[in-house]
Amino acid sequence: MNYSKQIQDIAVRLFTENKIDVFVGYRKNVGDDNQTPFIFKNPALCDKLVFTEKSTHNLTNYLTNETTKSKKVGLVVKGCDSRSLNLLLTEGQVKRDNLYIIGVSCDGCVDEKNEKEARCIACVMQSPVIYNEMLGIEKEKKTYTIDADLLKLKHMSLTERADFFTEMFSNCIRCNACRQSCPLCYCDKCVIDQDSSLYHNGANTTSNAGMALMTWYLHLAGRCVDCRNCERACPQNLPLHLLHKQNEMVIYENFQNHQAGMYEKDRGAFYKYNLSDPDDFIM
Amino acid sequence: MAFSIFHISNDELHKLYEDIIKNNETYAPVEHSGDYKFKKVNSLKECNTDAPIKTTASVKPLFFPQTSAIMHYSEDAKGIKIDDPKEDVLTHKKVILGVKHCDARGMQVLDSVAKWDWQDEDWIKRRENTVIFSTLCVTPENTCFCTSLDYDVKTTDAYDVLVVNDGQKKLLKVCTEKGEQFLEPYTGVLTKLNGEGDAKLKAEFTKFKNAFHLKMDYKEVNAKLQGAFENDGWDFESARCVSCSACAFVCPTCHCFKISDEKVRDKGVRYKSYDSCNQKYFTLMAGGHNPRTQKYRRWRQRGMHKFVYYKERFGVNLCVGCGRCTVKCPVNISIFEVVNNVANNI
Amino acid sequence: MAETKVKEQNTVASVENPELPVDPNWEPVIVGILCNWCSYAGSDLTGTSRIQYPPNIRIIRVPCTSRIDPVMIVKALQTTGDGVLVSGCHPGDCHYITGNYFSRRRFLVVKQMLWTMGYHENRVQFSWVSAAEGAKFAQVVTKVCNDVKALGPLHRFKKEDIK
Repeated sequence: MNYSKQIQDIAVRLFTENKIDVFVGYRKNVGDDNQTPFIFKNPALCDKLVFTEKSTHNLTNYLTNETTKSKKVGLVVKGCDSRSLNLLLTEGQVKRDNLYIIGVSCDGCVDEKNEKEARCIACVMQSPVIYNEMLGIEKEKKTYTIDADLLKLKHMSLTERADFFTEMFSNCIRCNACRQSCPLCYCDKCVIDQDSSLYHNGANTTSNAGMALMTWYLHLAGRCVDCRNCERACPQNLPLHLLHKQNEMVIYENFQNHQAGMYEKDRGAFYKYNLSDPDDFIM
Repeated sequence: MAFSIFHISNDELHKLYEDIIKNNETYAPVEHSGDYKFKKVNSLKECNTDAPIKTTASVKPLFFPQTSAIMHYSEDAKGIKIDDPKEDVLTHKKVILGVKHCDARGMQVLDSVAKWDWQDEDWIKRRENTVIFSTLCVTPENTCFCTSLDYDVKTTDAYDVLVVNDGQKKLLKVCTEKGEQFLEPYTGVLTKLNGEGDAKLKAEFTKFKNAFHLKMDYKEVNAKLQGAFENDGWDFESARCVSCSACAFVCPTCHCFKISDEKVRDKGVRYKSYDSCNQKYFTLMAGGHNPRTQKYRRWRQRGMHKFVYYKERFGVNLCVGCGRCTVKCPVNISIFEVVNNVANNI
Repeated sequence: MAETKVKEQNTVASVENPELPVDPNWEPVIVGILCNWCSYAGSDLTGTSRIQYPPNIRIIRVPCTSRIDPVMIVKALQTTGDGVLVSGCHPGDCHYITGNYFSRRRFLVVKQMLWTMGYHENRVQFSWVSAAEGAKFAQVVTKVCNDVKALGPLHRFKKEDIK
């Protein structure tokens, strides 16, 4: 999968026609063959843009970053990225008129060891769901499958599960790389960093790390698109996707097969309701 | 006074380590899902004293922990009572094996700020009671650049004993008085070298220095950065930064911290934990003013602090060139690249 | 008639931490988050009808269950709570028309997530109690207290340095 040349041409055209102030794409890392996000305003740098199966980062994170706020932005998105973009648009974080979206119909990304990523193998939407221009052929939506790691977790006993998560939380160093890399975590001052002591959990103890991560999982439920920016960002290699997939599964199975950001103007699962939602667990 | 240089076979070195572990509180890199963390060990099998730098956390948490409870208090009808301080495990006499020399140098660099205008008693005590064994890296990572900076691995006294490869054997170079005294009881298994030790060491150090991928002219970069405050390069290079704190938390020399209080019912704890100048609200003051709301200002502060300001104030460069920030950054921003590009106006 | 709970000695160690010793004097702390218009009024009716219910519940009044951020339930378990009861209006009777339709989605997700994390499923329970159901409220609180009492104190994810 290689769309580097097409993207370079489009970027040059957009700059010349004055349609954008800044372009957000990928470029090669200096030290190895992985890729890194590349944000620039100078049209002369367009030839550094690349797009291959190593372009795994979700770039919509930069739409709520001060680098691109209130500017006209040209952006490259894959299938999953475009879903998070739909949610950002619905939630009023970015104006559609300010964006020129290059959607790529993705064949799946590979990780640092050049193996296809687990989330790409289970991908449900390879083609972009919102775009100004699409590269590649449109692919059909695939059926949802439950994550294998999650199934393994569900077969463990109560104390085993509790031990697993206690260990995971004790390894967290509260660097916030996960939350900062997440495109849908855009609150200027996160609720757990508020000065009010109701939620404030500044020190890095296991219970505070647990509280911070649980807050993040619950606030992202129904909005997470499984881009794995968080897991890639984590310096401690925590398995952050597990509880996101857990919430995604509960929402899919119980709320009319809802999946985040599948169409324009879609809202997160907690901002909608249906009269037939299950409530037999409520007394 | 010249310190000793010893020769020892690999097997004897392992036995030496086992003996150290048996008779001292010893920490070494222990593997955990692909990464290494410094933990207390009870035998040599549990750890890897040659753990690669890329996947090893720095040794800083053993001197300045991620979170420490500095005060416990309780409240009753009569008022607030502060409990007696709990025992600080890190001030015990201990030995750390397998420390990378960049980390050891980082601890030495932080001594300057710990003994500056306010004496950080915890830090000083922990440093005094620790013996550091360092292993000279054989293959540097492609993110390392310690040899380009202002310290010489050959002559530094940041660690107490340096372990260097010499074919099938190892050389033990003692670098401090503390190291010399520590190895006294082991002189039976160690062959003391006289003149020939220096020649062997010199050869190994040259091989080590030449193996580096990243090289910079430190003096030139430092001089150029002094006038680079208004340079546009900071904005361009930091554009993809997400303002998390991963680089600061894994860095062996970052030392900013925050104090926070937590209370449940009538008992409370005051914590001192890591903080980072990358965070948007790091410089937020009471009253609401925040001098560094813009990301490029925060990155500029980070780069300048690491390469200019600390050197100006304490005479030693704060960055020690370990490269961990680059490896752990979510978007692989390399401080080496940023500082070079800004200095040379690329 | 709702039963009055008889004070008895605790014989259960925590179900999530069976290795810890049993504390015979432990009494569960249940955090009750009740919506103002139905459940809180219902609990008021329980009181005025002189129906006894366990004193272990500490009530927090919110205007509507949709005000409840799922994080509040987790926070209650992190501080002093051994169990949480969230109660609101019956679907279709919400004072704000649609509030409880949104909140029942959140309740399901929180309950399932906490189970996956290793909390016992009976620690967090939900109910619909209307302003006229004083007796039901007493029954609900008694059930939750008995369920949590059988699980033992919660030790997971609590603040570790404050005992």
